[in-house]
Amino acid sequence: MSVDVEVVGSAPADGGAARGRGTWSLSWHGLRTVTVLELRQRVRSTRWKTALIVWFAVVGLITLLTTGAFQMLSDDSGLGGGESFGGTVYSIVVGFVLFLGLLVAPTLSSGAINGDRNAGTLATLQVTLLSPAEIVLGKLAASWIAALAFLVASIPFLVWALVGGGVHWLALLTTVLMLALVLGVVCAIGLGFSALVSKTSGSAVLTYLTIGAVTVALPILFGLLVPVTSTTEKVEVWDVETGYTWEETTAPECEWRTHELPVWHSERTWWLLAPNPFVVVADAQPLNGNVEALANDGNMLAMLQYGVRYARTGDTGPQDWCSDYVYENGREVQPDSPVEPVQVTDQLVWPWGLGFDLLLGAAGVFVAVNRLRIPTAELPQGTRVA
Amino acid sequence: MTPDGGIRAQGVRRSFGPVHAVADVDLVAAPGRVTALIGPNGSGKTTLLLMLAGLLAPDAGSIRIAGADPVAESYVARSRTGWMPDVFGTWDSLTAREVLTTVAAAYRIDAAAGRDRASELLELVHLSELADQPAHVLSRGQKQRLGLARALVHDPDVLLLDEPASGLDPRSRVDLRVLLRHLAAEGKTILVSSHVLTELDEMADDAVFISGGRTVDTRSVADGDRPRTWRLTGLDPAALAAWLDENGPAYHQEADGTGLLVELSGDAAAAALLRSAVEGGVAVSSLAPAGGVLEQAYLALEEERR
Repeated sequence: MSVDVEVVGSAPADGGAARGRGTWSLSWHGLRTVTVLELRQRVRSTRWKTALIVWFAVVGLITLLTTGAFQMLSDDSGLGGGESFGGTVYSIVVGFVLFLGLLVAPTLSSGAINGDRNAGTLATLQVTLLSPAEIVLGKLAASWIAALAFLVASIPFLVWALVGGGVHWLALLTTVLMLALVLGVVCAIGLGFSALVSKTSGSAVLTYLTIGAVTVALPILFGLLVPVTSTTEKVEVWDVETGYTWEETTAPECEWRTHELPVWHSERTWWLLAPNPFVVVADAQPLNGNVEALANDGNMLAMLQYGVRYARTGDTGPQDWCSDYVYENGREVQPDSPVEPVQVTDQLVWPWGLGFDLLLGAAGVFVAVNRLRIPTAELPQGTRVA
Repeated sequence: MTPDGGIRAQGVRRSFGPVHAVADVDLVAAPGRVTALIGPNGSGKTTLLLMLAGLLAPDAGSIRIAGADPVAESYVARSRTGWMPDVFGTWDSLTAREVLTTVAAAYRIDAAAGRDRASELLELVHLSELADQPAHVLSRGQKQRLGLARALVHDPDVLLLDEPASGLDPRSRVDLRVLLRHLAAEGKTILVSSHVLTELDEMADDAVFISGGRTVDTRSVADGDRPRTWRLTGLDPAALAAWLDENGPAYHQEADGTGLLVELSGDAAAAALLRSAVEGGVAVSSLAPAGGVLEQAYLALEEERR
């Protein structure tokens, strides 16, 4: 038997550091090895292909049903079908894809490490010259690529909804980009739990709980904090004149008055909404500040974006209670109100949310890499090394 | 070979919570020799091998693998160690060939060299015909052979094999023995743990006995001068017994056979006994060690522990 094996001293991105590669050493060669291994393992299991086909069918069905429903609605309402419902369909499809993505992505990564450990294939990889970071990031890349395959399978339907009109093409770009990033974060969180607990079911549950906390629990907390963030303040109100009896036939005069009113300082707690994946995806699209156009479009993503921007704006200052009551000859007139219409802030919400989510994902990767360090001093409860 | 090659472990300890899996193990395995690691179930063999393979950090003690410390110089130690665990999985969806090329890539061997190496190893462990079958169709013994090939991919200086023979058919066992002797002849250090002691007899040069997480004995298998039991048979067992009563050493009847067992101090004593028996006109039909060296030593140790 020949014993001549040519060992590549330095892989492409490896430089000359091959001699003393540490936990965090990364090389393209190592990453690719793990990613290809993981994908081969996964792609060849038919279960995965079936899942992709089912996904395509379900998203397609939802798109078809939504489109059909709104087509019928607009026909029935006698508006002549001229109204654009692209925004509605688009937002429903995006929301659905994100929802399904949040359900599927954890299953792609939450068994990647403890599953291998249970199958006895992790240790044989750890004793090779791959660094823990290469193993973890390779696995992350593989599960992310798998998640992106689901996203790519939904793109035709997003484009279809876009064709329906009412949505800026740029929105498609930001939406897909944000969806991709959010799915990557979910994969990373799943990977972290997968390294932390020994049972694959346990890590899946913990991943879902984390997603649930960010998606549902934080917004609920935001709601519960309303009484705390509301204060009674003196507010300038453009009000109906003092002594106006409402029985007079002449329109009221408007004047400035000061009222003691509860003011909700949502600008103090808006950040609780930011990490929510739906908020991140919604807020990244170009802002449409025109409230009436929003209402007409029925684009729920745009409404969600408007909502969080409104929350971030917080105290909107003087209020107008009078202008709507000014009639002349039985017709509503809009006199020049000294109160500016509410302008939501153009300060972005999504970078904060995405930043937080990315930190969560980074924590997952960090935990996983630390857990794969060898030689191990401590073993997680109930795990075997090999 | 450098003087600090091979495996050197001194005062190695490792506990899992209150369980002292390895309490105090000293072990030296020299390059060019096959060393057997022998001990009852739960004696700490696998834990010890995990520490030698660099997967588990010892609580105390020092380990050198081909001169490198698997804790402080993990990378260097890993590059020189080939490890075959007792229980291991295979990547089910990969073919045998892909398993080996993947491992080669993980050892930073470039793709072309990795492919050559994989073919060479598949040939070596007689899996060439199954090379392009998914690993999950392989039988237990075939997977075991694939596991051995995997441990050899990067041509390591030190081989750690945990129960390599389990699940192997007789032919493969012979192949394994020949292969290990061959690797040892190339100057590699080989540490084999197994329960099949008669087999280790034929392939091991040295033996380390551990029990209860401690090294209890270290001996050379080839050492013919240790006292051991020999089995003696004659054409006429009664005559043989009568002759032994008069001239020979103490003996006792074999429990489940016709032979007589005698304690002899070594090969020379055996030769002397045979000569005097022949001279005395007793028809001796065979004189051979009863059981393997390792089996006897193992049973003797078990005896002491009781």
